[in-house]
Amino acid sequence: MQGKENKKTSFFSIPWVQTITASLICILLGLLIGFIALLIINPENAWDGIVTVLKNFWNYKQATKQVKYFGQTLVKMVPLLMCSLSVLFAYKVGLFNIGVAGQYVIGAGASLYCALGLGMPWWVCLMAAMVFGAVWGAIPGILKAYRNVNEVISGIMLNWIGLYLINTILTQVKNPTGKDTFTVASKNPSALIPSLGLGSLFNNEKTVTIAIPLAIIIAVAVWVLLSKTRLGYELKATGLNKNAAMYCGMREKFNIILTTAIAGALAALGAAMLFLTDSMQWECTQSSVPAMGFNGIAAAFLGGLNPIGTIFSAYFIQHITEGGAQLTKLGYFSQISDFISSFIIYLCAFVLFFRGIMNRKPGDRAGRSKKGGKKA
Amino acid sequence: MTTLISYTIFFASVLMLVALGGCFSEHSGVINLGLEGVMVFGALGGALGMRYADLPPFVMVVCCVLMAVLFGMLYSLLLAVAAINFKADQTLVGTAMNLLGTAAATVIVKALNMAADPNNTSSEIVYVVPKKFFMVNFMGFEISYLMLLAVVLLVISYLVLYRTRFGLRLQACGEHPQAAASVGINVFRMRYAGVLISGFLGGLGGLMYILGGVSQWKFEVGVAGFGFLSLAVMIFGQWKPLRIAAVALLFGLFRSLSNTYNGFPFLVELNLPGSVYNMLPYIVSLVVLALTSKNSHAPKAEGIPYDKGMR
Amino acid sequence: MSEYAIEMLHITKRFPGIIANDDVTLQLRKGEIHALLGENGAGKSTLMSVLFGLYQAEEGEIRKDGKVVHITSPNVANDLGIGMVHQHFKLVECFTVLDNIILGVETTKGPFLEKTEARKKVMALSEKYGLQVDPDAKIEDITVGMQQRTEILKMLYRDNEILIFDEPTAVLTPQEIEELMVIMKNLAAEGKSILFISHKLNEILEVSDRCTVLRKGKYIGTVDTKDSTAESLSAMMVGRSVNFHVEKQPCHPGDTVLSVRNMSVASKAHKKMAVNNVSLDVRAGEIVCIAGIDGNGQTEFVYGLSGLEPLASGTIMLNGKDITRSSIRQKSIGGMSHIPEDRHKHGLVLDYSLEDNIILQNYFEPRFTKHGFLQRRAIREYAEKLIEQYDVRSGQGPITAARAMSGGNQQKAIVAREIDRGPELLIAVQPTRGLDVGAIEYIHKQIVAQRDAGKAVLLVSLELDEVMDVSDRILVMYEGEIVGEFDPKTTTVEELGLYMAGAKRATEESDLYLAGAKRKEM
Repeated sequence: MQGKENKKTSFFSIPWVQTITASLICILLGLLIGFIALLIINPENAWDGIVTVLKNFWNYKQATKQVKYFGQTLVKMVPLLMCSLSVLFAYKVGLFNIGVAGQYVIGAGASLYCALGLGMPWWVCLMAAMVFGAVWGAIPGILKAYRNVNEVISGIMLNWIGLYLINTILTQVKNPTGKDTFTVASKNPSALIPSLGLGSLFNNEKTVTIAIPLAIIIAVAVWVLLSKTRLGYELKATGLNKNAAMYCGMREKFNIILTTAIAGALAALGAAMLFLTDSMQWECTQSSVPAMGFNGIAAAFLGGLNPIGTIFSAYFIQHITEGGAQLTKLGYFSQISDFISSFIIYLCAFVLFFRGIMNRKPGDRAGRSKKGGKKA
Repeated sequence: MTTLISYTIFFASVLMLVALGGCFSEHSGVINLGLEGVMVFGALGGALGMRYADLPPFVMVVCCVLMAVLFGMLYSLLLAVAAINFKADQTLVGTAMNLLGTAAATVIVKALNMAADPNNTSSEIVYVVPKKFFMVNFMGFEISYLMLLAVVLLVISYLVLYRTRFGLRLQACGEHPQAAASVGINVFRMRYAGVLISGFLGGLGGLMYILGGVSQWKFEVGVAGFGFLSLAVMIFGQWKPLRIAAVALLFGLFRSLSNTYNGFPFLVELNLPGSVYNMLPYIVSLVVLALTSKNSHAPKAEGIPYDKGMR
Repeated sequence: MSEYAIEMLHITKRFPGIIANDDVTLQLRKGEIHALLGENGAGKSTLMSVLFGLYQAEEGEIRKDGKVVHITSPNVANDLGIGMVHQHFKLVECFTVLDNIILGVETTKGPFLEKTEARKKVMALSEKYGLQVDPDAKIEDITVGMQQRTEILKMLYRDNEILIFDEPTAVLTPQEIEELMVIMKNLAAEGKSILFISHKLNEILEVSDRCTVLRKGKYIGTVDTKDSTAESLSAMMVGRSVNFHVEKQPCHPGDTVLSVRNMSVASKAHKKMAVNNVSLDVRAGEIVCIAGIDGNGQTEFVYGLSGLEPLASGTIMLNGKDITRSSIRQKSIGGMSHIPEDRHKHGLVLDYSLEDNIILQNYFEPRFTKHGFLQRRAIREYAEKLIEQYDVRSGQGPITAARAMSGGNQQKAIVAREIDRGPELLIAVQPTRGLDVGAIEYIHKQIVAQRDAGKAVLLVSLELDEVMDVSDRILVMYEGEIVGEFDPKTTTVEELGLYMAGAKRATEESDLYLAGAKRKEM
């Protein structure tokens, strides 16, 4: 087409380069803040501390252990990735899915109850999680479409309702000796997600299952759905300009509800993919909404709101979270990595600004077009 | 019954203070979704005051309140800088602030605890003695100074918002910032003021929250969604201080039922799980929102970054 | 003392990639009404923003009473006695008139607001200049005319000496425009200096003493209005003599394509119907134009027709089929095309590429979607075809973001999309709003070509020139009702104006929509 060759493209004006650079800036600044925190708490070990966080499983000397803990990191990355897909999917349609945490809770509840209470096989439990997650996720969509309720507020309310609801339901399958639910293996091994030999690659780590490749496949599927299909075209149009979507006959109310339902299903499935590995149990007395959902928001933005990008960002966040757990050895505590990752989310809010800087240097094209659009 | 009333008043004053904070921020045009984090930091400030200051009772109370307010305001600067100067997505910033609030407070308290005693890795601050300084006997009720302060602040909020030059200008910035700027009002400064006031009130609410019933606070647990609930109170209160106060009482009542339903035979007979009462305020606010959101009185420009070049 | 109240000398203001003002000079005498004339995008608003301190000029200087001043913010402008009525009013909707007037210069007593003195002053000013307002009414409840008077009072309350009116007549009825002209003359007689920004020649000729003309950011010249004519001014504005008249053959209407009966649409702003019992027909091969002042129900009528708003009552027939209850998509497939009033709100997804915008109305057709997947190659080919055929210009062709395109080319893309679908009925709402003369001519040609191809065209326009030039039949809408039907060849602008302002209306309302049908029988 015309003008393609005379356009001066500097390296930093390519969109995906900008996205990655901005994310890297966020990570570096976040780590820097974490490092400063370590310095203040105990200056002697600060450097070792930050290295420990970054090394995670490489902190172990033996290769077998490294592989095992790498596997565990991947297992926990799965729900994080699913939650971030949920967030980014909704965001593409112009919705901020802060209710992802509640959808995650519902997924955990539905899958565990099906597994422990009803004795169903794993795939039924996964389906149940998706269905209930979709229904739960659809509520803010319905309220938004028909009652003009801001999805952020309704999502927050639903997070808490979901938490108390699931606490109550899962108390029925609680292990009487503690606060946690029974392990799936002890009550209904058929509800454990199969490993199909994947675990053997990770030094027979039992929690490594097909959930890991499945989550990555789902990420790719979300990418295909959003960028290649008619549905993705419609959903994105609805998100970018609801009025235009309505004008050209898209069912924008239906699209909003569909989107939130899909987002809910994704987050709920993520929870099921964690709890049906016995990697952890549900604590029936927890009084705050699990951070997993909110971390999903972090991963989504850190991943540049790109499904493929979130695979890496979700892994990174889980990586430093697991790495943080090893800080106790150095006289620190694991919350440092929560601190780092939450600070990284905060920095993600500045991504637009970072991009603005990259755009400002040469050419000035993108900066100008934005301004022109507003003025026109 | 008395426990129900005192719990109700307690929860209501916390909710009202924080909701008033949100109200000021939104009237200036900035959505403060990070109130939960602001509360945690206010609580942290107050708790640190109680732990380290050794002062006569009344001075102590004043000092702790100042600490809470100061921490709340400093923390809310995170929102102000991002949302006002850098035009960041306010929802994202607020969410990050809620996570960061708990994480940072935990890190700070743990660091302090470990510095005092290397074996103490808890995130708790204990304040058995200073807590008593806050209590005053008022017409037979044991109530906190802070509740009186809350009532005073309610009156002040109302007057400031509707009777002063500042209030008029603040609201103009939240409704139509371009109009405000065109008559020479510094929108950035007013929005900073709005956010800082929300930090002030939110921080105070946080301190008040951790003084209810208990004498030590574990900072890992945050403030259990009170910041979010306050937002619902603010919306239900249509961004108007007096309505907010009324709604806060209502929500306080629902919330306190979960602590006190055991004392009511007819509620016990219903044999509902305790969590139902926990859910109740959230369900009520969801239903209320569904019924009232169609004609909302939200400030028109809230959530939209102000851009000088845009007209 | 200088004879000038304000002088803007050799002002240059650049935005990245564009020079909005290029060496512009404007000198405002004391007590005069000085018009600033130019097309959309000529740089009038930028120049005024520089004067008002919203932008800083890179070059040039501003003098007040002969002394150089640096206007770094609206505050400085206010202090210098410069006031402005903005095109989009700067009023806080939920505040009262009085609160809006005092905002920014409030008087206080102790910590609290004290409005008694302010109220007295406002009432006195209102009396003196004939600016009727209700100080306790909320802005959201009062008419546009009263809102504008509030804006003027805002300036007078601040004792401003230099008053800028930015396109003040665009939203007013002819009667309100008359009143405004009187008010402006009163103000000038009292010694205020007035800058009047407009692109309407007759208003400039009527009210102003001198006129400065800008074109594409450049200063063209300043003339005495009494020595000027509409032709001479428009030649300066456009840079060539403009053929205002659209070339077209006589129309040969065929069968009725669109038939609306008793349509009513509820209003969002007030309790009355925005569209009240409207009936009309549009036949194949004719352009029917709905004329009227903005806000008289035209927008809602089209929303109701296209399905963007639900009908309160009435029926719509398209080619003899009842489409009253059809969805937007069904209407669109059934042959209704719609060039929307607001291209940014409805017409485009600004963050989509040009090609994705071009398929907005037919992305679901089998040629563009197979098994749920978009056919990118077919889309690209189709987009390139339309871009070439309709001369849509953009930086990177089909992959240009719609946001990065000029308004004229955005509109061309919409016109291409809506016309290329081969509609039976083309609804065009203000299709030339905000475009330069070249683009206006082009779009008018396309609309006439549709008519000549035997399509039915329903045009909604606020510009009387466009109404008179393009249409074959004119319907005037006033307060949601059709109040008159006219033949552009036999009616005059003045006549239309009376109907548009509600001063006259056809007596036998029921005959209106039948007029078309009757003519066919004859």
